[in-house]
Amino acid sequence: MNRTRLVFVIVLLLATAVVAASVLVRRAGGVGPLIDQPQDIEVRVVCALPVEPFVQDAAKQFNAEKHKLENQVIHVTVEPMDGLTAMGRYERGEMSPFPTVWIPDSRYLVELVNATFKEQRGRDIFLTGGEYRSRPIAVSLFSWGIYSSRAAVLRTKYGEIDWRAIHDAAIAKGGWPELGGSADWGYFKLVVPNPRRNVGGLAAMVAAAGEYYGRTDISVSDVTNPQFQQWLKELMGAVTDFSSLGSYSVENLALFGYSMGDGGQLLESDLLINMAGILNRWQDPLAIVYPKYVTWFDFPYTVWMGDETSAVEKNAALEFERFLLLPEVQKRAVQLGLRPANTEVPVTEPNSLFVQWESQGAMTVVPRTTMMRSPDREVLLALLRWFDLNVTER
Amino acid sequence: MGRQQTRQKRALPWLAVLTTVLLGALVLCGLCSLVYQVALRDRQKAQGGNEVTLRIAYSPDKEVLFQELVKRFNNSKARSQNGKRIVVVASAVEPELMLTAATQGEFDALCPDSSIWLAQLEFDWQESHGSESSIVGDTTRFAVSPIVIAMWADTARSMGYPDKAIGWMDLLNLARGNPDFRWSHPSTSSASGLLATLATFYAGAGKTRGLTVDDVTKQSTLDYVAALEKTVRYYGEGERAVIQQVAEKGRSYLDAFVVQEQLLIQYNRGHSDKLVAIYPVEGATWADHPLVFLERAEVTADVRDAYHRFCDLLLSPEAQALVLSSGYRPTDLSIPLDSVASPIKLALGVDPSQPKTTLQIPGPTVIQVVRDVWQYAKRKANVYLVADVSGSMQGKKLEQAREAFLTFLDMIKGDQESVGLVVFSSSEVLAEPLAELGQNRARLKAQIESLSAGGDTALLDAVNLAYERLQQVGDKERINAIVVMTDGRENNSSIRLKDLTSKMRRENQSGVSVVVFCVAYGDDAEIDTLEQLSSVTGGQTRRGSTATIQELYKLLSTYF
Repeated sequence: MNRTRLVFVIVLLLATAVVAASVLVRRAGGVGPLIDQPQDIEVRVVCALPVEPFVQDAAKQFNAEKHKLENQVIHVTVEPMDGLTAMGRYERGEMSPFPTVWIPDSRYLVELVNATFKEQRGRDIFLTGGEYRSRPIAVSLFSWGIYSSRAAVLRTKYGEIDWRAIHDAAIAKGGWPELGGSADWGYFKLVVPNPRRNVGGLAAMVAAAGEYYGRTDISVSDVTNPQFQQWLKELMGAVTDFSSLGSYSVENLALFGYSMGDGGQLLESDLLINMAGILNRWQDPLAIVYPKYVTWFDFPYTVWMGDETSAVEKNAALEFERFLLLPEVQKRAVQLGLRPANTEVPVTEPNSLFVQWESQGAMTVVPRTTMMRSPDREVLLALLRWFDLNVTER
Repeated sequence: MGRQQTRQKRALPWLAVLTTVLLGALVLCGLCSLVYQVALRDRQKAQGGNEVTLRIAYSPDKEVLFQELVKRFNNSKARSQNGKRIVVVASAVEPELMLTAATQGEFDALCPDSSIWLAQLEFDWQESHGSESSIVGDTTRFAVSPIVIAMWADTARSMGYPDKAIGWMDLLNLARGNPDFRWSHPSTSSASGLLATLATFYAGAGKTRGLTVDDVTKQSTLDYVAALEKTVRYYGEGERAVIQQVAEKGRSYLDAFVVQEQLLIQYNRGHSDKLVAIYPVEGATWADHPLVFLERAEVTADVRDAYHRFCDLLLSPEAQALVLSSGYRPTDLSIPLDSVASPIKLALGVDPSQPKTTLQIPGPTVIQVVRDVWQYAKRKANVYLVADVSGSMQGKKLEQAREAFLTFLDMIKGDQESVGLVVFSSSEVLAEPLAELGQNRARLKAQIESLSAGGDTALLDAVNLAYERLQQVGDKERINAIVVMTDGRENNSSIRLKDLTSKMRRENQSGVSVVVFCVAYGDDAEIDTLEQLSSVTGGQTRRGSTATIQELYKLLSTYF
């Protein structure tokens, strides 16, 4: 064997040894090298339930694209949590570790939590101005969603569908036959999410108070008025089940159909996304009706400004926010029944759920402009206390 | 030749050097690999091993489906985001027991038969922790099934089905008016039993919604419920056990019973004598099988991730197709219920457009009062425990049997229930005459604790003694039952099996109807004899061992 051949054989053997060693290493667990690579920048987003599918989808895409900041990959994780539950956890000090971003259902929840922390820390931890200010990622509003067969009977009986008509239907002793409906429909069944688990339940109660008083600004004395409380109690008496999964009221309406609820004032996006499934399962689509006073949820993207998150994490959070507001990402929000925060994105495309369900009452532009004012903390607490004492333990 | 030798001599040092280098490289690689593996093992140990276990308790009514789903998941070798292999370990647990186990940290997730238990779980958790924090975390539903009244098709037709909407009141009136009508619902430890009980309380209060504690505890309601519960043949451990008994004994077992729609479908698939589902006109309710993640301080990201991975599987198209083919309604609403392959159809006794309305579910306090009050309003029982203390029972067998009898007594909460004890070895002995537990609970416990083994096996004489005692009491208002346990063969009785079974058949018609439940304890028990004793009275025979005897007696206690 000449020297060249010998060297060739040795190189071959060395290569084989290296390959064998690497195979061994892979078989040992197939994990990364012992020396840790630079860590990803973690952006933890606690997100309201109605926008969770949208934000989760976007996070998957964002992570797959490996966006970088200061040469580090940004990794977004999304944790669904009802806005009211999150508020409770912030205030009880149970939000550990603090999420980088909070997307609650509505801006007023941010203001309430900020007020609590401002007292403790002497400064804002959620900002309303500047680069890190809260900005909506999508919006949606509350509308009536009622099974068409039942909505037709209510319209014949009461004309317009509003909280007063629903209240009268709720207290009809003879149930649906008394209202002009079928005997096997039982009594009128209202869907209201459990306000202890879903901020939508609280929004429904505030909206009912608004129509009861004929104004948009509700005070503590309004909700503690005995006549109003009696009226509200009669209304809530038509709810089939507060004991179960209050967080998923539209899901309940779809899954259990008219057996569990004839309808309720619920988030438009939740109604739209479930319309096809409801029609498929129950052969009776929902009629969508917009109320007199409109309650909007604006899902503000809110960066935690406390010292618990680093500057680079805050900036990484902004990167993800910019991504969420891109037109192509916002189109996905429209597909999920949400109204886009980016005004460049239309809701009038032929495949939009707003257009698809126009025949059932969905509107691309909502003509009602009178907006319910956000309740203050005392009103919320008074309503929750009343609920605990009068409804949960009924 | 000479030139060749010179070349070889020149090559030799090179060869030696290169061989050494090669060997060195190999040794180095080996060392690196070794160091790596050790480091990897240490890292995995620091991260809590290379495996994450998700412990789930599920209700026994969905055992077949749930175990299949768990098998599919474990076979998929799913990994968490941290690269750990996820293993799901699932155990069948009655919903009521699940709540205690959950608060004690025995499980990471629960899948009871209904969400109705979640409010109770939350209530218990917040009470015990004095906090507003919630133990009920993320919840996923993958299968639902309405709870219905199952009835033989011809019986239902005689009540006006399918043209007339039938309700709880029709069933209850039929049961009250016809002493031969046999119906049953499980105890309140399952959703279907709880629903049936709520329905009777609603009927008793004359309401269809807004049931309050005052309504439940009103004397007129209690009288109504008590009168109605007297028409129940006996209760039972759950719907699955009832449907198994119906499958074995056919229509002679029961005329109607409360059960999930999916179990009725499964029964109808294999039998020509069909049951139909009655969706009560006052309101049905749903078993919605929520898979609930339990939020506790010690929850790790890996376990949370494992839960989400398992949920992904439950909601996958393949799993949802399996859910439908098993007779449940899938939560994926894009799956039609009226397709050719769907079992949710009239031919199988069920109607996909039903139920039209549900019963209003009260808050946890009212539900708890209903469950407590039901213990007093339910049909009372006279039960004789008949226990083998022959020589073969010595040691661990008797020790476990003692524990099982004590568990049985603890499970029967109501002091108005009557229990007696007959023991047998070479002869039968009335150790404790039948009396209400309020009077003899302590004496019974003392008798059980002092049991000792020795002698032959006079099984039939002992059963005969208990049977005669129950006939002498002659209380037709109550459930009359004998729970007999033996580990061996009959060898010392004066009465023959044939005579005893004839007597039972005859006197069950003319006197009070006594049901015999038998436990064949261990491999040597004479199962044929026990089966004859139970079948002639419409009872059951179960096999038990030292490992299962306690659980078995716990189950048997749910019949009373």
